[in-house]
Amino acid sequence: MSRIRNRTLSAAEQDAFGVELDAIRARVTADIGPSDARYIRRVVAGVRWTGVAGRALLFLGAFVHTVLVPAWIIGTLLLGLSKILENMELGHNVIHGQYDWMNDPKLNGKTYEWDIAATSQAWRKTHNFQHHTYTNVRGMDDDIGYGLLRIFPEQRWRPFYLMQPIIAVVFALLFQWGVAIQDLRIGRWFAGKMKPGELRKAFRPVGRKMGKQLLKDYVVFPLLAGPFFLPVLLGNLVANGLRNVWTYVIIFCGHFTADAEVFPKEVLRNETRGHWYLRQLRGSSNISGGKVIDLLSGNLSHQIEHHFYPDLPANRYATIAVELKEICTRYGQHYNTGSLPRQFGQVVWRILRHALPSRPRKLRVLDEPATA
Amino acid sequence: MTSLPAPKPRWPLRLARRAVSPALFDFWATRVNRLWTLEQPLARLVSRTTASRDAVTLVFRPNGHWAGMRPGQHVSFGVTIGGRRLVRSYSPTLMGDGTLAITVKAITGGVVSEYLAREARIGEIVSLDKAFGDMTVAAGGESLLLLAAGSGITPMRALLRDLAARGMPMEVDLYYWARQRDDLCFVDELQAFAAAHPRLRVHFLVTREGDAPAARVDTTSFDAVESLHRRRVLACGPGGFVTAARERFNGHVASFEAEAFSLPPMTPGDDEAGEVEVHLSRSGRTLKLPRNQSLLEGLEAQGVRPANGCRMGICNTCACERTSGTTRHILTGDRSSEPTTQVRLCISAPRTDLILDL
Repeated sequence: MSRIRNRTLSAAEQDAFGVELDAIRARVTADIGPSDARYIRRVVAGVRWTGVAGRALLFLGAFVHTVLVPAWIIGTLLLGLSKILENMELGHNVIHGQYDWMNDPKLNGKTYEWDIAATSQAWRKTHNFQHHTYTNVRGMDDDIGYGLLRIFPEQRWRPFYLMQPIIAVVFALLFQWGVAIQDLRIGRWFAGKMKPGELRKAFRPVGRKMGKQLLKDYVVFPLLAGPFFLPVLLGNLVANGLRNVWTYVIIFCGHFTADAEVFPKEVLRNETRGHWYLRQLRGSSNISGGKVIDLLSGNLSHQIEHHFYPDLPANRYATIAVELKEICTRYGQHYNTGSLPRQFGQVVWRILRHALPSRPRKLRVLDEPATA
Repeated sequence: MTSLPAPKPRWPLRLARRAVSPALFDFWATRVNRLWTLEQPLARLVSRTTASRDAVTLVFRPNGHWAGMRPGQHVSFGVTIGGRRLVRSYSPTLMGDGTLAITVKAITGGVVSEYLAREARIGEIVSLDKAFGDMTVAAGGESLLLLAAGSGITPMRALLRDLAARGMPMEVDLYYWARQRDDLCFVDELQAFAAAHPRLRVHFLVTREGDAPAARVDTTSFDAVESLHRRRVLACGPGGFVTAARERFNGHVASFEAEAFSLPPMTPGDDEAGEVEVHLSRSGRTLKLPRNQSLLEGLEAQGVRPANGCRMGICNTCACERTSGTTRHILTGDRSSEPTTQVRLCISAPRTDLILDL
């Protein structure tokens, strides 16, 4: 279904492409300053205020039964919003080191701990390093289907994948737990490829973080409501669920739309900077929709810009995008963007289609040597 | 380096530390009082007075998390300018009421010193780090010769205030150089100490004013200092001053200790030639690394294996704090010498001697 819209670039053109993109980075880096600091501090305040308002409304509903339903609904939505903002616009971007330049110990990429079941430490490895360096390279980027789903025809089909329409839904509902155990690579354990005790040792920090999250949302806050613990507990459960589904949708739209490509390991051999950029472009897709989507997706609606410049403050992506589109047009490269329903529709189609056996298209004009 | 242990917090705070993260606690608590944090030492600017023609004395009140200091030690102050926290060391004087006084001279092009000297307003919040430095004087120590140039007077003033409070327990001579008479700070206070304590003698030396400018440290006569060879000499000032003082006194006195403040020396010419010394402060190692290689490659060649990932400046795995020195960004060629800043080892090459938090 992939339509071929990319011009094959010569080695010299790839280099020139890389040079232009590096120039944008240098220019934005030099311009980073007070407005970016103000932006992320406003996001922090947004996370805190929506969080406290959401939890307060859940308590209000629990104690004042006449307003239970409206308070519960708004409280749950606000708490979900707080968790989404913390996860995406704050946590994800801070952990990338986007705000390290502020030299604020609370916004430091190496120490920030986010409010989800997964540890920031594991995320730094699976996401910041593996996913961002080897984006959509089979066998290197574990985010391709998370070892659970078959998204691309290039992945080998197994009968297990027939269940993936159901597995994909369960995975969406429990997304943060999936991310939490991603780095444990439990598949290797099932296959008997792990030394005894290896999994237990790797699980220890993950288990600690999971316990902390469970204790907070499902024990401490409900207990504060005493006999009316149930609405609080359910509110927290639904807020976490909303965040799970939303992050899943955004992240899947980033790399699994119809035109997104996967690459064999061979492309990494002597890969030039220009080709690395090209690979990021062809493996990523944006979501159009403007400022609200940008904020709620942690600017992953600018997945292409994010993959070019994962270390630049995300509030810059929207401005960078204008120039980037022009550059892509000039080099004859497809800039993959579309509305959320359109992009997610394509993701759903991939999940359904590749549950069944499928074969990569024979004619692949896109394929080209990493270095010419 | 000696530093004092942090004060043990009371039980409500200890409980809070187990229950909530500093980020959450500080966000709400600092809305009530900007000094209320769970762990981070902060201080509030409470007064500013003119100390000399181009220097001001700023007084800060620290919160309860700051561990305190010994007179003569240095403290790193973190000042937020344009959204960025910039860290500089000062040697404060601990005042009787628990506040810290620093004297700052506005240096042209010095972002922090210009800001503190001209713009910082009462109520401004700064971060503090643990005190460090070995230029402290224990009870019953040997007689002292103190050499100060310019802002180098600040640790000496802290020492002298402390010694005066202890009744000047040893012979002390202070030599204090400045370019012009109105560059001198604390003149009245120092003269008052000397008047009250016969064992203290204060010498002001002005090198660019009047008919007979004073000699610099390398040619000044120290005949007035009795039993010079038994003195402990402490010197503080710009790099050139400290080097000259060291040459003059090293080996001729009981001991010589010095602290220099000045910008890292800029080596002219090629950025990529030669080697520099890189000190790894956590592991305590000092290595010679080539300037034409990334820090990551250089360290690995010497058997140090810092955490790393993409090796192309993307993933931030190898980021670590550069405490001091200048690095060159390999991709852009930009130089960066802001102290206490995160650098990515894989795309930074050393330019001057460095201290890394590794």
